[in-house]
Amino acid sequence: MSHGTLLLVALLLPFIGSLAAGFLPTHARNTAAILAGSVAVAGIGISVWLYTSLADGAPVQFWLSWLPMLGLDFTLRLDGLAWLFALLIFGIGALVVLYARYYMSREDPVPRFFSFLLAFMGSMVGIVLSGNLIQLVFFWELTSLFSFLLIGYWHHTASARDGARMALTVTGTGGLCLLVGVLLIGRIVGSYDIDQVLESRDLIIQSDLYVPALVLILLGAFTKSAQFPFHFWLPHAMTAPTPVSAYLHSATMVKAGIFLLMRLWPVMSGTDAWFYLVVPAGLVTLLLGAFIAIFQQDLKGLLAYSTISHLGLITLLLGLGSPLAAVAAIFHTLNHAIFKASLFMAAGIIDHETGTRDLRKLSGLYRYMPITATLAMVAAAAMAGVPLVNGFISKEMFFAEAVAEHTGSLLDDSLPYWATLAGVFSVTYSLRFILGVFFGPPPVNLPHRPHEPAHWMRFPIELLVLICLLIGIVPSLTVGPLLATAVKGLLDATPPYYSLALWHGFNLPLMMSLIAMAGGVVLYLGLRRYLESGIEGPPILRDFKGQRIFEKVLATLSWQWARAGEATLGTRRLQPQMRIVITLAVVAALAPFIANGAVGTGDMPGTPLPPGFALLWLVGGICALGAAYQAKYHRFAALVLVGGAGLVTCVTFAWLSAPDLAVTQLLVEIVTTVLLLLGLRWLPKRIENVYPSRPPLKVLLRRYIDLTIACALGGLMAFLAYCLMTRPLTQSVSRFFVERAYSEGGGTNIINVILVDFRGFDTMGEIVVLCLAGLTVFALLRRFRPAPESIEQPEQQRIQHAYDVATPDRSPGDTVADYMLIPRLIMHWLFPVIAVMAVYLFMRGHDLPGGGFAAGITLSIAFVVQYMASGTRWVEDHLRVLPLRWMGMGLLTSCATGMGSWWFGYPFLTSHFQYVELPYIGKVPAASALVFDLGVFALVVGATVLILIALAHQSLRSSRAAQASEGGE
Amino acid sequence: MTLSLAALGPALPELLLALSALALLMLGAFAGPKSTDTVNGLALAALFGALVLVLIGPAEATLFNGAFQVDAFGRFMKVLALIGAGGTLAMSVDWLKIEKQDRFEYPVLVLLSTLGMMVLISAGDLIALYMGLEMMSLALYVIAANNRDSVRSTEAGLKYFVLGALSSGMLLYGASLIYGFTGSVNFAQIAQAAREPSLGLIFGIVFTFAGLCFKVSAVPFHMWTPDVYEGAPAPVTAFFASAPKVAAMAVFVRFAMEALPNVAHQWQQIIVFVSIASMALGSFAAIGQRNFKRLMAYSSIGHMGFALVGLAAGTQQGVQGVLVYMAVYLVMTLGTFACILSMRRKDGMVESYDELAGLARTSPVKAFMLAVLMFSLAGIPPLAGFLAKYYVFLAAIEAGLYTLAVIGVLTSVVGAFYYLRIVKIMYFDEPAAAFEPMRSEPRVVLAISGTFTLLFFVYPAPLIAAAAAAARALF
Repeated sequence: MSHGTLLLVALLLPFIGSLAAGFLPTHARNTAAILAGSVAVAGIGISVWLYTSLADGAPVQFWLSWLPMLGLDFTLRLDGLAWLFALLIFGIGALVVLYARYYMSREDPVPRFFSFLLAFMGSMVGIVLSGNLIQLVFFWELTSLFSFLLIGYWHHTASARDGARMALTVTGTGGLCLLVGVLLIGRIVGSYDIDQVLESRDLIIQSDLYVPALVLILLGAFTKSAQFPFHFWLPHAMTAPTPVSAYLHSATMVKAGIFLLMRLWPVMSGTDAWFYLVVPAGLVTLLLGAFIAIFQQDLKGLLAYSTISHLGLITLLLGLGSPLAAVAAIFHTLNHAIFKASLFMAAGIIDHETGTRDLRKLSGLYRYMPITATLAMVAAAAMAGVPLVNGFISKEMFFAEAVAEHTGSLLDDSLPYWATLAGVFSVTYSLRFILGVFFGPPPVNLPHRPHEPAHWMRFPIELLVLICLLIGIVPSLTVGPLLATAVKGLLDATPPYYSLALWHGFNLPLMMSLIAMAGGVVLYLGLRRYLESGIEGPPILRDFKGQRIFEKVLATLSWQWARAGEATLGTRRLQPQMRIVITLAVVAALAPFIANGAVGTGDMPGTPLPPGFALLWLVGGICALGAAYQAKYHRFAALVLVGGAGLVTCVTFAWLSAPDLAVTQLLVEIVTTVLLLLGLRWLPKRIENVYPSRPPLKVLLRRYIDLTIACALGGLMAFLAYCLMTRPLTQSVSRFFVERAYSEGGGTNIINVILVDFRGFDTMGEIVVLCLAGLTVFALLRRFRPAPESIEQPEQQRIQHAYDVATPDRSPGDTVADYMLIPRLIMHWLFPVIAVMAVYLFMRGHDLPGGGFAAGITLSIAFVVQYMASGTRWVEDHLRVLPLRWMGMGLLTSCATGMGSWWFGYPFLTSHFQYVELPYIGKVPAASALVFDLGVFALVVGATVLILIALAHQSLRSSRAAQASEGGE
Repeated sequence: MTLSLAALGPALPELLLALSALALLMLGAFAGPKSTDTVNGLALAALFGALVLVLIGPAEATLFNGAFQVDAFGRFMKVLALIGAGGTLAMSVDWLKIEKQDRFEYPVLVLLSTLGMMVLISAGDLIALYMGLEMMSLALYVIAANNRDSVRSTEAGLKYFVLGALSSGMLLYGASLIYGFTGSVNFAQIAQAAREPSLGLIFGIVFTFAGLCFKVSAVPFHMWTPDVYEGAPAPVTAFFASAPKVAAMAVFVRFAMEALPNVAHQWQQIIVFVSIASMALGSFAAIGQRNFKRLMAYSSIGHMGFALVGLAAGTQQGVQGVLVYMAVYLVMTLGTFACILSMRRKDGMVESYDELAGLARTSPVKAFMLAVLMFSLAGIPPLAGFLAKYYVFLAAIEAGLYTLAVIGVLTSVVGAFYYLRIVKIMYFDEPAAAFEPMRSEPRVVLAISGTFTLLFFVYPAPLIAAAAAAARALF
């Protein structure tokens, strides 16, 4: 098997193992552990095997064509740096698996745990082995995902779910930034291949996109590696099972950001932008993490903040930009992984065996678990940077770099002091960890009685602590070659000179270490009382909760802004909606207008405006405005004003030589006004005095805005109509009718000829619609019951009624009958006159304004007048017209006329015409269309009267209802 | 001009719908409420018959002097509209019965509205367009208020009517301006006349598009959508979200492509704006919603925005994208509403999607299907919703509309938030009480919809090919 293929195996093994573990039965704890352990051990084997091939410095590669059209290949690439990380991932992984076997309870679905863990291991290996950046981001996101699943492993607890979600949100957002950053890098370099990217330092640094790309990539790295201000997710991720904390959140995943920084260190570091972005972030994280760690009451919380602090240290080192600092960063990464993993495991054991992680409850455990305590002490010493353990050496290197690096800026000059301060803090929290847990009085009220754990559970700690000691005592013999390999992978050809030795003589870094240790002890003693008071979190800072801010931001984004947006921009009320629609239409129509600037009126000259006509229109306009205004306050007045506007329209038609339209309009106007009047009675009353004094300014403003919008829209419409009318019509059908109305339809009233002849079929449809409308009104109102508040009789009727009742020789209704006597008489007599008028209109319709429709409406007016004069009851008593029959007859007549033409072999509704001489009357047109018109006439009368009856009958019904309700009382 | 019955052949599906609507109305009116089941069944049969007639009917034909045209495009959209109408009608029968809102008028109105849609899809001139639009809308206004005793439902109907009438007025105004400036109502002749954009013509286009935007509920003419979706009974909302959208989008595309191809750069800006606004509003406004129907309203606004991306491209590929998008959207919508319709407990319907909590445990299959639909609506690969988005964005990119495509992708990321929240609620929240078992019709619809969405990527060729053929018909 070639070395390249081995890489593929190393990558795929964990995923295969994960899949296999997923299919194991729920409680197969041992099988799953053995499976996971063997995968990890195989990984270690492969890593060790590949070590030899790295000696010459060239990376091991594996290449597979993936998306060639996008210039993307699936590439695996193992250099020294990747190798060290891979070894770390597999090595710590193997130990964590062993530990988890004992840590996880029998009841937990352990195979699922190992399945996630293996998948995570594979993703992590994927990051370090990726040969191109896109692929790296892909595996990067996978680690976020599996971290989410592992943190939320005990998904029945709310805090686990919250922690998992927060970790995913933060790292996932960071991953998105990283992706964009990587795409920018790809754009600069022209390739995503890491080898190519590593060769393009000048190209990248000089590019305009360098700073955006850097910021985005750093966002990705900082979120993943929990750097300030994105550190807050890590402590909440501690709700995960402890093996997960040991593996993901101290040793590996949080190092992914560090790895990325190292990976791109050769090409991106060394600039001012890099320095001023990375160093402050690292420094603040280092100090803040260490400071907060001192005040934690939760064992794992303490370790989590300590991890944050150490990650800050490594970031800081990388930010410095000198090769030696980078070496120190790699070394500290390795050391931190080792001692922090062992400390987490120790914390897990304590939790497991005592049932609590609360530092306030734990004390004096040395008595019960001396071996674990000893191991933990060594590891904690490494954390504090005590000589003879590994942490000391890398910390010394850090101090040395902090002192060495001087470019003259304030940040640079102050670094040694900050570094020492951080050292003080780390000694303090290490002391607190050890002294608080293992020494002092015996614990009281622990959930379990503490004892040593199973030996194999402790074994990983023993091994790791042993490594700590070995590295700490003989660094050059143990870790030296490994580090050299990694450094060769990170830096180009010539690694800087560095010496891994315990004793460098009595120099400044050693001084700093001593100060830090002494200071740490003093600080611990000083803070002891405060810490024992049991307050959670550090002074002042505890009020700044990252989690609360995070949740607040999420809630703001997801609910409040959305709600507020909807409340301000959207509305559920109809009026504003219509206002918006109309305004938008006006704006949309005006936009091209303003853009083009040209006014598109036509060339045709306008006709001169006679003053009388202008006055007429002024009146009409005022009527329309008044109607719009009164519609809200006084419906009756509004209706009358609408009638006025309609009347002006009629006159306009007549003025502009359209008598036919004028007649029809007038008649329709009358009928509809009366029908509307009848209907008005049943509308709910307006609520008076909504505003006690005068309407508030807001309301007035709204009304004026509405007025403005309406005027704007109306003006626009009028203007557009004007533009259209001043253009010559391209083609018009009217010529056709003008030419043929007499020759083919036999009538000089073109409109009527069109209605009954040329477009007879349309008219047929229209009368059917009218018929249906009448029937519908009737059918709907048949079931109509007026609203209770409008049943009451009008005031005038009540007064008259009361007077009639009170006066001895009068019966109710007499007053009305009295004072309506004259009008009633006139109106009765008018009936035949109007009827004759209707016949006249009908007969002349073919040649002069009139026709079936106009005649029908006229006859209906005769009926309306009777209603007004004599009341519903009288009319219904005397009505000899059965509307339904009229409608039916009308429709049938029209149809029969149409079908009559079939008799003569013509298509439906073909008309025939001639003039006949009648005695006394003279020459009248006798077209077959006249019969059709008769049908129209009958139908119009029938439908109108039907609607009239349906509406008017309500007054009888409501008075009955009123009587019934009075009787009921 | 005379018309023989045989010449009406291409309009046979429409005739069938018209006649069955009339016949069923008579049946219902004379036989009374007890005939509701029969009317429902026959209405479904009529829709199915129309579907068959559309499929076996002639591929290309023109009737009524070009006012009515049958082509591959119309066929594709008609099939979608009929599936939408049939699917929602089938699902609503039981629901309405349980809610005691079953009236024989409902299926008749659905038939009439569907007839309007068919006319609309086939419209070849502005008159037919307006006629189809009104026939569709008038029936919709009424069924929005189907639940007469509910204030919310009647309010929804009234609002829809008022705003709809307003927008119809605008459309009519725009249409008359277009007629005035081009001298014709026929799409082909308008295209001939409208070579040079004049100001009047642009006004006309703006107003007509405003009316059409209202019908597809695109921002800024979307205001009615959430209120009507929330107020109307759930099956009616399902109907609103499916078939009419397809029809309106069809006529939008046809009108833009057939009548205004020569002034494309004029209206393209309008569509780009509307599309961006719809996608953005659909994504952001939905975040604040709790009511599932209201959420779906914003979701449909957003989806119309995505579909309009394809139209904005103005190319054959873009039209193909719109067609694929509408097909996938229809299927996903039907499936989602099948779930909404079955959100019923013993004490009645619930509409907040929080009630779905823990659905994965109470009814895992339904939860899985709904999760698939949500993922697909969010546009997550490899589900159908992703492919649909892919086609429209690809068309936009090839037409050089990079900004539009980028904004589209970003808003779909935002939109994913609320879809995924539903998945989260179903899978991670403490289970609420179980729902009543699903009725068989919604169950079938959900199963078909979920399976289609899940497996579409395996064999998308037939739909893509049909959409390509349909798009070709317009060029």
